Amino acid sequence: MKRNHTKKIPKGLSICLKVLGILFSLFTFTFVIYIFNLDMKLTSKIEPLLLKHYDRIERDRHL
Amino acid sequence: MAKEIGKDKFGSFYVAGSRVRNRREWRGVKDTLYDYSRWLVIMGTLGKFLMKPRNVKAMFRYRWMANYLAVPMMVDRHTQGLRQEYLRMCHIEQDLIIDDVAKLLGNLFRGDRRTGNDTEFSKKVVLVDENEMTAVMMGFPMLKCLSRETPSTYVSVLLNQHAAEHYIDVAQEFGLAGDVCPMPEAEAGVSIDDDAPVLGACAVQCNTTCDGSLLGNGVISRRLEKEDGIPVFQLAAPLRHREDDVQEYAAQEIRNAIAFIEQHTGAKWDWTEYFECAKRVNYATKCRQEWLDMNRTDYPQVFGSNLALYTETNYMAICGRIAAFEKADRKLTRLAEQAFKAKKRAAKEYRHRAIIWGVQSHYYMDFLVWLLNCWGIVPLTDMLSMVSTRKIAEEDTPENREQAYYDMAWLTENMIMRNRTHGGYKVLLDELWEFTEQFNADMVILWEHMSCKALDGMHGLFEDRARELGIHLVWVSHDLFDPRIISRQGVRDQINNYMRTVMREEPIDPSLEILPDEESW
Repeated sequence: MKRNHTKKIPKGLSICLKVLGILFSLFTFTFVIYIFNLDMKLTSKIEPLLLKHYDRIERDRHL
Repeated sequence: MAKEIGKDKFGSFYVAGSRVRNRREWRGVKDTLYDYSRWLVIMGTLGKFLMKPRNVKAMFRYRWMANYLAVPMMVDRHTQGLRQEYLRMCHIEQDLIIDDVAKLLGNLFRGDRRTGNDTEFSKKVVLVDENEMTAVMMGFPMLKCLSRETPSTYVSVLLNQHAAEHYIDVAQEFGLAGDVCPMPEAEAGVSIDDDAPVLGACAVQCNTTCDGSLLGNGVISRRLEKEDGIPVFQLAAPLRHREDDVQEYAAQEIRNAIAFIEQHTGAKWDWTEYFECAKRVNYATKCRQEWLDMNRTDYPQVFGSNLALYTETNYMAICGRIAAFEKADRKLTRLAEQAFKAKKRAAKEYRHRAIIWGVQSHYYMDFLVWLLNCWGIVPLTDMLSMVSTRKIAEEDTPENREQAYYDMAWLTENMIMRNRTHGGYKVLLDELWEFTEQFNADMVILWEHMSCKALDGMHGLFEDRARELGIHLVWVSHDLFDPRIISRQGVRDQINNYMRTVMREEPIDPSLEILPDEESW
């Protein structure tokens, strides 16, 4: 009979590692957005769409 | 990518024809992580703002709301090249201003008849001009003092240099003169274009600074009063504000404005709250004076954009009414003192000490950062930051209650810009040379706002006096809100030409001399 030599990771530690993994992934994801200015690159693409939308709104323009 | 101040070539961040820069700055691990953490906070503020359906509705209703897509970039522009204490000071100020503007927008849309339509809330709102001292609201904690022009035009142009162009064109399309100041013209354009939130129990307009301002207020108040049913009070503060014989009239205008607000809102003036605000106004003045004292030495700390933008907001729009700004004053002073003791400097090289005078180009507020990074010119202080340093009465006594009307009048008369562009020869011209001496400045950068008649008439007098005193006087023409007349590069070229031909100097960072930012936010 083969014996299983793999040590079982305690449940608490496993949760901590998962949380750290998630936090690290979130940090990496947001930091990449931050450093490469991806947030501004995205919003600069949205602006022309919004401007077209504003042009279509009916307005009561007068002095 | 460099940790050291001045190692980066900042020109490489710009992309021709693009709204935005190619990446953010690497400032070393500690400062980059700090800047990143503040970016997260700003994104949180924007995210929180967009959680409310009425704010989303407003985003799709008001054209000027599109400019708010550029909020993080505005911060990047003002923090360019900054490290350590200077970076932290800039973020303390900018993040607080962003939070304050987000609250202002939230409140405007809550009461706005087109979006939130909260009628009970709207009854507590008093509308004020963008360029108006809010001193008359210091004793009304139960009311909301909101400015529609601040987010629609003033902040919008800080965010996006092209923000006001549409509204300037609308105003001129309807026959308004094209040679008045584009700021009130754009504000009038917002009203004509039916693009201003409609709310409030009443409004208080001020005769601000000039003919353009009176023109704009006329157009706006006509719509407010005759169509929206919102009564407007015209607070006509005296222009010759240093004269003793105008002060009684000025105080009476304040009494009248307060009575008008009480009449239309049903609220009662609260002296306890007024004197609390007065204490904060005095504290802000004390801090500003300490910063200016440091700027007179070889180690200036709170200067450039860090001084200009914050003073405009704190002195005029806040006027002691919001406690968070007192905390910010304290933090800023602590950081400045810390950097001063360590004899720190914000840039690689300081070559010239300059006073910035005149009304600055609004579409290029980060010009002060550029001056420092490109040519090593330290903008020690600017005209709009040289406001009242008088201590106002802060103890609640019967005599001080009477004095308070004079203090509020004094603050209103001495609000930003009008305290220098009006009031006579001394405040605009003579005091400039006094400051030049006090700050040991060898250079004056003189903004020439080409649509500002108040300043244009003094051109020759400035030149004569600078020549007598041996001060380098560099004229920089601009059109305040309209970069189509003189672009950002047009502004920079005037400095570049002077520095190369008169001063015979080479730039510290040559990559910043010519930038492809015509299309940029």
